[in-house]
Amino acid sequence: MPDMDDQVYQPEADTFLLLRAAEREVRPHDRVLEVGTGSGRVAAGLTKAADSVVATDINPYAVLAARSCGVETVRCDLAAGLAGPFDLIVFNPPYLPTSPEERIDDWLEYALDGGPDGRWVIERFIRDLGRILSPYGRVLLLVSTLTGLDAVREIFAAHGFVSFIVDEEPLEGERLYVLRATRDFCRINATG
Amino acid sequence: MRRDLLDILCCPVCKGALILTVTEENADEILEGSLRCEACSVSYPICEGIPNLLPKSPAED
Repeated sequence: MPDMDDQVYQPEADTFLLLRAAEREVRPHDRVLEVGTGSGRVAAGLTKAADSVVATDINPYAVLAARSCGVETVRCDLAAGLAGPFDLIVFNPPYLPTSPEERIDDWLEYALDGGPDGRWVIERFIRDLGRILSPYGRVLLLVSTLTGLDAVREIFAAHGFVSFIVDEEPLEGERLYVLRATRDFCRINATG
Repeated sequence: MRRDLLDILCCPVCKGALILTVTEENADEILEGSLRCEACSVSYPICEGIPNLLPKSPAED
């Protein structure tokens, strides 16, 4: 078995920014889902603050890592194996724009590769949100300038969600944001 | 997985309910077993307390 740390995205500035935003957002009776938990650091940080926390990852090493942090873990693609509903969903997605030549075929790749425009996984995640989010549920999504903040907000809008920046932090060569999204009840009929 | 996790799980393909079979559990949780989707005729394993709900074709089952 390869060294787990080489196969699992280790906590970085983006991890701690998302955790900080999630700690502010979480309420005691929330049913929380972290999608793509990686090391499990964010989900583990929320287990004391919320009644129920579940985390997913597609990476077999990540689910083991998260479980060893005491997090209830499910191995699946994004939220595919979960019916919900969840009151708070947090996701630090793979967001780096990656061309096919740049791809390295290993588990860590899943944590980084956002497809050619960096938004491939984000779009799949948002498309499935309506199925698992409770009516007044909230979503926290980590986004980088490399991914295109406005483009991500447009994807949210196209699927009937309204989004706002709730936290941000400069990094070298990029800026990180946490977007908070909820159902847009003003437009719910327009979007179906 | 804790037993009550079953309530929020679904088949990753058809999103239908799963039937739990337990082969090993302790006081807190289920360690080994399976989750079966009758509609898709597919069983998903629970190994070391972690359900694996990655889709697979019936041929692999």
